[in-house]
Amino acid sequence: MKYVMANSGADAVDILRRANGDGRVIAGGTDLVLDIAGGKYAPSVLVDISAAGDMREIVPREQCIAIGGSVTHSQAARSEVILREAPALAEACAAVGSLQIRNVATLAGNVVNAQPAADAAVALSALGATCVVAGEEGDRILPMERMYEGFGKSAVDSARELVREIRVPRRKKGEASAFIRLEMRKALALPMLNVAAAARVEDGVVVWARISMAPVGVGPVRAVAAEEGLVGFSLEEEVILRAAEKALEQANPRSNPLRGTRAYRMQVLPVLVARALRAVRTQLEKEEEETR
Amino acid sequence: MNQELTLTVNGEEHTLAVESGEMLLDVLRGRLHLTGTKKGCGEGECGACTIILNGKAVNSCMIPALKAQGGRVETVEGLADGEKLHPLQQAFVEEGAIQCGFCTPGILMSAKALLDETPAPDSEQIREAISGNVCRCTGYVKVEQAIQKAVKMLGEENS
Amino acid sequence: MKRYVGQSEARLDGVWKATGAAGYTHDVTLPNMLYAKILRSSHAHANILSLDASEAEALPGVRAVAHWENTPRVLYNGSAFAVTAASHFTPILDQYVFDNKVRFVGDEVAAVAADTEAAAEEACRRIRVSYEVLPAVSDPLEALGEDAAAIHEDQGWGKNMLHAPTEAGVGDFEAAWAECDVTYEGTVKLPVQKQVPMETSSSVAQTLPGGGLRVWSSSQTPHQVRVLLANVLDIAESKVQVICPPFIGGGFGQRSGMSGKAEMIAAVLALKTGRPVKLEYDRHEEMTATDSRHGGYVNVRLGAKKDGTFHALSLDPVLNTGAYCSWGGTMSMKIYTFGATVYRVPNTRHFGKTVYTNILPAGAMRGFGNPQAMFAVETAVDAIARKLGRDPIDLRMQNIVAVGDDWDNPFECVSTELAACVRRAADAIGWAEKRGRKQEGTLRRGVGIAVGRHVSASDRASGVFLRLEADGSLYMTSGVCDMGNGITTTLPQILAESLSIPLERINMYAGDTNATPYDIGGHSTRSLYDRGLAVINAADQLRQNLLEYAAEVWGEKSAALRYEAGVIRGAQNSWTLEELALYAHRHQRRFEVIGRGRDSTTAPWEAHAAEVEVDMETGVVKVIKVAAAHDVGVAINPALVEGQIEGGVLQGIGYALREEITFDENCVPYNDSIHKYMLPTAGDVPVIESIIVEANDPLGPFGAKGVAECSVVPTAPAIVSAVEDATGIRFLELPLTPVRVLQGINEARASQ
Repeated sequence: MKYVMANSGADAVDILRRANGDGRVIAGGTDLVLDIAGGKYAPSVLVDISAAGDMREIVPREQCIAIGGSVTHSQAARSEVILREAPALAEACAAVGSLQIRNVATLAGNVVNAQPAADAAVALSALGATCVVAGEEGDRILPMERMYEGFGKSAVDSARELVREIRVPRRKKGEASAFIRLEMRKALALPMLNVAAAARVEDGVVVWARISMAPVGVGPVRAVAAEEGLVGFSLEEEVILRAAEKALEQANPRSNPLRGTRAYRMQVLPVLVARALRAVRTQLEKEEEETR
Repeated sequence: MNQELTLTVNGEEHTLAVESGEMLLDVLRGRLHLTGTKKGCGEGECGACTIILNGKAVNSCMIPALKAQGGRVETVEGLADGEKLHPLQQAFVEEGAIQCGFCTPGILMSAKALLDETPAPDSEQIREAISGNVCRCTGYVKVEQAIQKAVKMLGEENS
Repeated sequence: MKRYVGQSEARLDGVWKATGAAGYTHDVTLPNMLYAKILRSSHAHANILSLDASEAEALPGVRAVAHWENTPRVLYNGSAFAVTAASHFTPILDQYVFDNKVRFVGDEVAAVAADTEAAAEEACRRIRVSYEVLPAVSDPLEALGEDAAAIHEDQGWGKNMLHAPTEAGVGDFEAAWAECDVTYEGTVKLPVQKQVPMETSSSVAQTLPGGGLRVWSSSQTPHQVRVLLANVLDIAESKVQVICPPFIGGGFGQRSGMSGKAEMIAAVLALKTGRPVKLEYDRHEEMTATDSRHGGYVNVRLGAKKDGTFHALSLDPVLNTGAYCSWGGTMSMKIYTFGATVYRVPNTRHFGKTVYTNILPAGAMRGFGNPQAMFAVETAVDAIARKLGRDPIDLRMQNIVAVGDDWDNPFECVSTELAACVRRAADAIGWAEKRGRKQEGTLRRGVGIAVGRHVSASDRASGVFLRLEADGSLYMTSGVCDMGNGITTTLPQILAESLSIPLERINMYAGDTNATPYDIGGHSTRSLYDRGLAVINAADQLRQNLLEYAAEVWGEKSAALRYEAGVIRGAQNSWTLEELALYAHRHQRRFEVIGRGRDSTTAPWEAHAAEVEVDMETGVVKVIKVAAAHDVGVAINPALVEGQIEGGVLQGIGYALREEITFDENCVPYNDSIHKYMLPTAGDVPVIESIIVEANDPLGPFGAKGVAECSVVPTAPAIVSAVEDATGIRFLELPLTPVRVLQGINEARASQ
């Protein structure tokens, strides 16, 4: 196994191309290192993208916040623009593992690893993010919903391509997002459940809402029934509770010996959805007060 | 397959041949005989192997050594200035923040990385910085007190 | 005014540990050393029909493969208890180095020594084993059932019974039970908690010319490991050296005896290869194949008179000892001796069973049966308080044991400040304002309290060695190890106080069987109490010897000589310690003594009060604060005592809320890593107020008692009591995971 540092995203793709399916991208490596040690993968080349110069920054552009493919959870959790415009993502990133893990583990890796309980991915999903996937044929842009092909199975083939950039839409006035996580302890724990919500409110009425939740299916699952139930209404308690119950329509959680039975998750999921929506409402109220 | 790795550890440059599967922890303990850094799990779950790589606290058991190519590594052995303990070490000893001591080097490095970046952290920031370091002896109470004490000592040194 | 006792001296090994200079077994590397790996069973219960190691042995770099056919067929028990047992106990020997039967997932099948860890691992994969899989059981009640398979041969106690049921009691329980005005009966269910020391179990073994063996070990009890190795490997004890080198990365009872099988297997492989062998358990092995705390069930019955006087108490445990006995032989009786002697109860009864199952062996863990016992007892005490409409503190105060009370213990209660502990803990938590507040809404708060006692044991067989050097400095050794508790600081403090010499003039070395008197090891909250008495005894002997020597040299009567602040004074002469030491050295005289403890024990006492907040929608219980008041006698080093309390409280919080190893229907453990085992992190720590309530114990060294195990005893019942105060629901099963709590809330709502 050869270990190569890629200088750029294009460089990484080129090295993968030459390895002809026998290479693999390594970013933070916090999952991959264990997978290789456990024999899940045996690549001939590991392509390290953590030093790739064009993928290490968080750049606010006109339409989106562009998060480079090797940006770590720590970077995102502390980024001023993310804290201001996508607080759900900042909170999700701050909740992962431990600081030591967040210092190396990347957002892109969190998405590509395709684990059902990925925190950053849940927030990105609610925020309407898209991923720029770079491969031999050039870039393709996928919304979060299309990044998953099954349990632990990503739409990205890490032997041939990589997530070069994640794009999060800029927040406009009247929009807010929040992230809620339930866990067995404060660090070093996967979530029992996590929920991210984002919404746009105009003239006191929800124009759109996105609610994403996990682990209740493959990747982050959008609570579309709940989302639809919010549109056209104001974020009053009654509306929130009704929508929260509807979140169950898309939820199909499994039982986990540690992180909650299916019954538990089904009972608590609406509680968390309601809490996320209330947090969104609180932010919008605060914004209104500040602009008044 | 052996590859050449050059890195700086506690200010000293080393060049050595390593395998791509070797972790930074293995290199530090096995090759450089810096056994102050401990292995508690080998899976990034306990923080006993925490070192500072390019200014950030990381689990050295999970970092392929070649990832640290050209990097700057700080370990517990590099904390003291000769006989003079780093204020964190001094505070840990004085406050009773050490019991069995196996997690201590890792916690010290997590705390060092925190103070390098945030000279006056609040309680929440301290807890965030060390919550990836599992300690089974102390209940973390005196650990947090010791870090707060080191903050004061450093502040006085610098003023 | 004492100069050293009572002072929070910085621990003497602090700089070693803070600079990375401290060496642990993990750090031992020897020339020509081999690395060992263990092949473990993936079946919970199976007979080994055949084992073929030929392919493994043929691999390059593989030096030896050990398994049941080529290792000693000597039955043993890896716990220290098996070789320190009191004369009235017969140790239960039920383990081989390797057996032709496996009894839990993780049981040792074979081990390989090779040039590298990778080669040893690969060789383990190449060992061909064919199994006859047998039915397996993880619950002790099921293991007693008709359908269960026998895990060990029946010794005449009944299938899967570790020993005959234990029975005890005073008075006439049945008659008294009928006389009670109020009664409570309940059964609590207890989890399998894991110690999780940060250094995984490990050993390096080296053969020595002349048939000797030197073993570095992460054990808390090096002398017992030495005896165990000598017995099984048929080597003279005098030729076996066990070193804890000099530091151990935590123990918490788990390594009161061998470190799993690390020492035994490393030694076997060293003997086979003639080369040093290092065996370091990985975290998964540490979590799944070393001793745990005993889980199981305790049925408790408590009855009281109308006025609140406790009248009858029974404690009937069915404990899960897992696949092997380890410390299990004494555990069921411990439930009684701890649980039935905190309160004055004239009529008690105990009927206990300890049961084999197909899970990891249960052995010693901090508290040793006491957390289990007090969870049961305090559940009942709160229930009686509720039935009588009494304040739980008031009821406890009425019934707690006082000095001189009769109790069913083989030693006397010579000191207790439990009442003061209760008051101090209650005040610190704000009991008067907070208990019984009406709680509504999603987040509900409550407070609770619980009490307990433990032991601090001494032992005549253990000792410390003390030598006066030619420059007047003192060298002291003890066979007990400092596993973090700080005894290599506190014992020198006691010596410095005893001889009025500066702490800096003392050096202490510990945990090496070749350099220390025999020692029973670090367990039973004895390290400071027992060796503290031994240090005082050694100092007394040394002082007497010095006075006699000076009298002889000076030609004075020794009775007229005095030892004051490091100076020996006669009628006409005086010598500083340094002057005497040098004079004696030049006249071929050395002063070396062995100090002994004594056969005694005393009870430290404790009360914990907790405040919690319960999220009624998610079942999450958050601990806001624990106030932990401890009667530790005189605190030799208050900062170290606080450290013992704080660490124990957090383990108690883990026991109450999160920590358990669970098993699927095939007895496969789920929580096999730190990631899956929910011990608390720094982010989970509430306010912990440690309160030292000093009571001068008439027997203890400078009035000290032990503290180490006490701090984990009443935490869980205090938290569960606080949850009841917040929600009105009394939980009988630990830990209070969100799933269990929400289920309890659902059931309470449904029954309303």
